Amino acid sequence: MKLNVKINGKKFDLEVNPNAMLIDVLRDAGFKSVKSGCNEGSCGACAVMIDGRPKNSCIVLAGQVQNSEILTAEGLGNPETPHILQKSFVDHGATQCGYCNPGSLISAKALLDRNPKPTEADVKDALDGNLCRCTGYVKRIEAVLDSAKIIQKGTKGNK
Amino acid sequence: MLKKLTQFYYPKTVEEACLQLANAKEKTSVLAGGTSEALRNDSTIEALVDISKIKELSYVKSDSSSIAIGAATPVQDIYKSDLSGVSGELLKTAAGKIGSTLLRNAITAGGNLVALFPWSDLPAAYMVLDAEVVCRKGKPKRTVPVINLINSKPAAFLDKGEIVAEIKVPVFKKGTGASFAKMSKTSNDYSLITVASRITIADGKIKEARLAINAITAQPVRCEEAEKLLTSKKPSAELIAEAAKKAVAGLKIRKDYRATEEYRKEVCEVMIRRSLEESIAKAGK
Amino acid sequence: MAKTTKKETVKKAAPKKATVTAKKPAVKKASAPKAAAKTKAALESAIPESPLVFERPEKFEQVKHSLEKVDALGLVCGTQKYVGDIDMPNLLHVKVLGSPHAHARIKKIDTGDALKLPGVVAVYTYKDVPRVPRTTAGQGWPEPSPYDTYLLDSKVRFVGDRVAIVAAETIEAAEEACKKIKVDYEVLEAVFDPEKAMDKGAPVIHDEKDAYVPIPIFYDKSRNHASHVETKVGDVEKGYKEADVVLEKKFYPHYAQHCPIEPHICMAWLDENDRLVLRTSTQVPFHARRITAQTLQIPIKKIRVIKPRIGGAFGTKQEVLLEDICGLVTLRTRRPCKLALTRSEEFMSSRTRHPMVVKIKMGAKKDGTITALSMRIISNTGAYGSHALTVLSNCGSKVLPLYRANNIEFVGDTVYTNLPVGGAYRGYGATQACFGTESLMDDMAEAIGMDPIKFRQKNHIVEGESSPIFKALGEGREGVDMAIGSCGLAECITKGMKLIDWKKKYGKKGTGTKRRGLGMCCLMQGSSIPEIDMGSVFIKMNEDGSFNMLLGATDLGTGSDTVMAQIAAETLGCKHTDLIVYSSDTDMTPFDVGAYASSTTYLTGGAVITTAKKVRDQIIAVAALKMGEKPEDITIKDGICYGKGKKNKVTFGDVSRYSLYENKQFQIGAIGSHISHASPPPFAAHFAEVEVDTETGEVKLLSYVAGVDCGTAINPQLADGQTQGACMNGISFALTEEYIFDNGKMLNSTFGNYKIWGTKDMPNLQTFLVDSYENTGPYGAKSVSEISINGGLPAIANAIKNAVGVRLTRPPFTAEKVLKAMKELKAPKVEAPKAAAKKGKKK
Repeated sequence: MKLNVKINGKKFDLEVNPNAMLIDVLRDAGFKSVKSGCNEGSCGACAVMIDGRPKNSCIVLAGQVQNSEILTAEGLGNPETPHILQKSFVDHGATQCGYCNPGSLISAKALLDRNPKPTEADVKDALDGNLCRCTGYVKRIEAVLDSAKIIQKGTKGNK
Repeated sequence: MLKKLTQFYYPKTVEEACLQLANAKEKTSVLAGGTSEALRNDSTIEALVDISKIKELSYVKSDSSSIAIGAATPVQDIYKSDLSGVSGELLKTAAGKIGSTLLRNAITAGGNLVALFPWSDLPAAYMVLDAEVVCRKGKPKRTVPVINLINSKPAAFLDKGEIVAEIKVPVFKKGTGASFAKMSKTSNDYSLITVASRITIADGKIKEARLAINAITAQPVRCEEAEKLLTSKKPSAELIAEAAKKAVAGLKIRKDYRATEEYRKEVCEVMIRRSLEESIAKAGK
Repeated sequence: MAKTTKKETVKKAAPKKATVTAKKPAVKKASAPKAAAKTKAALESAIPESPLVFERPEKFEQVKHSLEKVDALGLVCGTQKYVGDIDMPNLLHVKVLGSPHAHARIKKIDTGDALKLPGVVAVYTYKDVPRVPRTTAGQGWPEPSPYDTYLLDSKVRFVGDRVAIVAAETIEAAEEACKKIKVDYEVLEAVFDPEKAMDKGAPVIHDEKDAYVPIPIFYDKSRNHASHVETKVGDVEKGYKEADVVLEKKFYPHYAQHCPIEPHICMAWLDENDRLVLRTSTQVPFHARRITAQTLQIPIKKIRVIKPRIGGAFGTKQEVLLEDICGLVTLRTRRPCKLALTRSEEFMSSRTRHPMVVKIKMGAKKDGTITALSMRIISNTGAYGSHALTVLSNCGSKVLPLYRANNIEFVGDTVYTNLPVGGAYRGYGATQACFGTESLMDDMAEAIGMDPIKFRQKNHIVEGESSPIFKALGEGREGVDMAIGSCGLAECITKGMKLIDWKKKYGKKGTGTKRRGLGMCCLMQGSSIPEIDMGSVFIKMNEDGSFNMLLGATDLGTGSDTVMAQIAAETLGCKHTDLIVYSSDTDMTPFDVGAYASSTTYLTGGAVITTAKKVRDQIIAVAALKMGEKPEDITIKDGICYGKGKKNKVTFGDVSRYSLYENKQFQIGAIGSHISHASPPPFAAHFAEVEVDTETGEVKLLSYVAGVDCGTAINPQLADGQTQGACMNGISFALTEEYIFDNGKMLNSTFGNYKIWGTKDMPNLQTFLVDSYENTGPYGAKSVSEISINGGLPAIANAIKNAVGVRLTRPPFTAEKVLKAMKELKAPKVEAPKAAAKKGKKK
């Protein structure tokens, strides 16, 4: 079937199998930041933003995003012009193996979009679906809280 | 994965959705958040009617007498809503205990009820709040107590071409308290035991009692004998203990490799007792 | 030309503090008559000597700073590539059919229907492949693990064991084909209880003739007996007689999986020279190359192993699990292929933590002297003996030296069962064993009426002390004698007590249905396997003054690329970002044993210093030549070489261009290796505060504090991150993670049902590093990655005991188990089975 979708601001007309899962469609389209960890919606490594909502793309059928707008970590920023959250993850040492980072960043972005002044509890709540086995979460939480402060201060980030 | 799926329908209105379901020649199912479809992987489904983009199905509204939730509303919106009062707080608590943020953004208020799992969190809350379900078959609609839908299994209850459109929850005034508790290994684990209760007190006596259990049972159940026991009595520790004992005695406990039946039964009784205590304490405030 | 490292080391190595270091006989200096010995000396010096200690700079410019992780930006932006992140045309998808039975013989196997399915390209069974006994454990050669595993076999030994390999055009076709393979099994009796596996008449799991051990160690497959270790120091019987109190208790640390968020994945293809390329998620690229060559019976030179970014490993990727399969498919079909484990396969058929029965016996005097300590281990390696011996010996060697005792005994056995296969898992035996010792330390303190922390403080090892265990227990051979050169444990304890507010909170349990308790434990680990593991590094200088640093060591997400860059930059006198780090690729990078045994910083870091020094010498020589100065007058700072009195200066770029284009041209660069002669332990003290619900048994972990002495933290932020990650892993291991079996089949093989902790489950987690300096390590460093996973079990168990009085021995400490134990405690004692612990028994 035909799938019309906007990914990171760019329009795509994709030909997909009706039973394809979004994670596979995105990875096949080149968005490799979308990672597979469990294929059952339990780990968050494949999280992407769909029309402003963070979801596990491994349990979303491609057909469900017809005419939707999708944001992946690639759409947040790149190494030259990283998003404040991405920069903050780096600065706080919130990335070890990095496999879960793109998904966690999407969850963090969704949180800050809705709640620009989150508490620590808000951050823990928003990232509760993104499992990480390397970091123990502490630095990631610090990074999100710090990003919120930077954005609040109006400090110009790169994006 | 959904091997036979060939067709997606994207209705813009409820009527359109119902029509597509009613007229479908292939085996067609309703798709809201899609989490259960993806996980159940029913290889007989040939078409899906995606109701998640129907605007008239996604809302959380409240007035002085009731709260209305559109069936396709992601439960995250309930959790993060500004609902208040006994019903509002209970719905928020229950919705917030569903899975994780990523799952709550996909799972819908109606889906959590219709695609009923033993560990579904909202149904027990709906039950103690005497919620009603608005089912629509195009324009025609019927409003039924949520318990009817649950007791006769949602899939069987709905006619062909009929969908759950709204969950309607009454608002309770002063003198009512409610509580929702879930026991699980971690915060985003499937529930091992779910207990919800609501108590309305008048003149120092329990005027109305509601108690619902899930997860330890195969589907959400009301503990009506315990409710009866509580009704018209003055709340006391002994009464609560007796009601908890009674509620557990009648439960049909499902198999769960995570904990023994004896243990779950014992803890369920503790949880019921605590739930009733909390509801009564809140009702007295 | 560069001076030899040996000379330089000997000359400059005098450490400031004369801390005791490895007691290895000093390197023999060539003392033969000069003329005759010239050739001989030259040949001898062709074999480099690894320094025993490293020089200690006055201050650090690059190390001991939390500099940016070199791959971090690419990781967060999704531009860094993991194994599965490249597209390969004409790719075949591979699937392995797993056994539904715990123990069975394949009587008949028919692949006809599977092969007929559209898209199916090949199906292989044991009949189609060479039968070569070998181990999947990625260890140094010859491995101290039995050769008891086959590419495919006619027998299956656990649920999930390999039955057949399918290659197809799509993953769906491969999955479908697996269902179509008809297998006729003769189901055999299985053995699941490790304490019964060695019984007479127990089913023999490795009844094949050809399994064997490649080194002279104990092995008796006819009794399911995969390894045996024992050692004795002093006279334990005498020690127990001298004790006022003797306690004995059994502990049952459980099955667990590493749960890297990226499951095992491997891709294979043939390159333009018809060589097999394996792009794989591995901790051990060189061992993977060797074991794949061995399994497929092809020369090592035909294989290239590439390790790109890895999505976590924690030991489970120190194992060659997919490379042989992908190699087979690609060599047979001449097409690229990919095999990625599902999460469920990761749980069932990759590797696990060896569950154990840990029996600890301890004797102590009322004054707190430990008179004797015995450890008796039965380790369950599951169906194959991967790391069977070494995890077992580490139970003793990484735990027993922690407390002074004159009489020590260690007896350990590893047994086969028809359960998932054990392997390397962060902590590596220490996790299991210290659960026993640290629990019993608390019980002993209580029995002799001493504060549990005072009891530990009185007995723990300190700088300058040694333990006979270091020499007695090695890995597959005798260990290496050494004394402790650095120990910050005392500070870990005192600072940790403050952070958790021990003095104020201890003993204040509260009333009602919520009781609080505090618990703690002390830990040690090691840093590399001494005189066995080797790491090496190649550095070359570029025209702009930057350097390519090629590492055999494998960064799995730990940050070792960054740590190595910092060590190199410190030695060279430049910024860590001037190093372009590449790890690892068996064609490109020099050998390294890989990322395991807490070795990379300590071991490969040493190789980096050795290599960078050679390069620095060359830079100085060229700078001196270019400026017309004497080499001994040259100083380097921030990538600039200064002449005498700083009048002249040249940049690294100037130096490099001069050497490449202008005069006496050569490539500035060097290769260097390092082996260690010691395995200095890092130390840690962990503290837990819990709240136990006395009616449901639920344990809420309120706070967790971990202090670690890892010597110099090369990158404190990364070291802290290692500690935090390890703590959380140890915590969820202690409280929720477990394998639930039914007849050998794991029932909860998903993330939805095997619960690792998320952000909402976190306690108030506080970690800190204690500064010490380890002379045998690069810039004073020891290891940090493993140790902190060990604290969760004992610290939380001790806290639960403190709160509600029950000693839990069977983790995870689920609510049901806690409640049950509390009931047993209340119930009138009818000499319960627990009574095996001769509590307070007086001599």
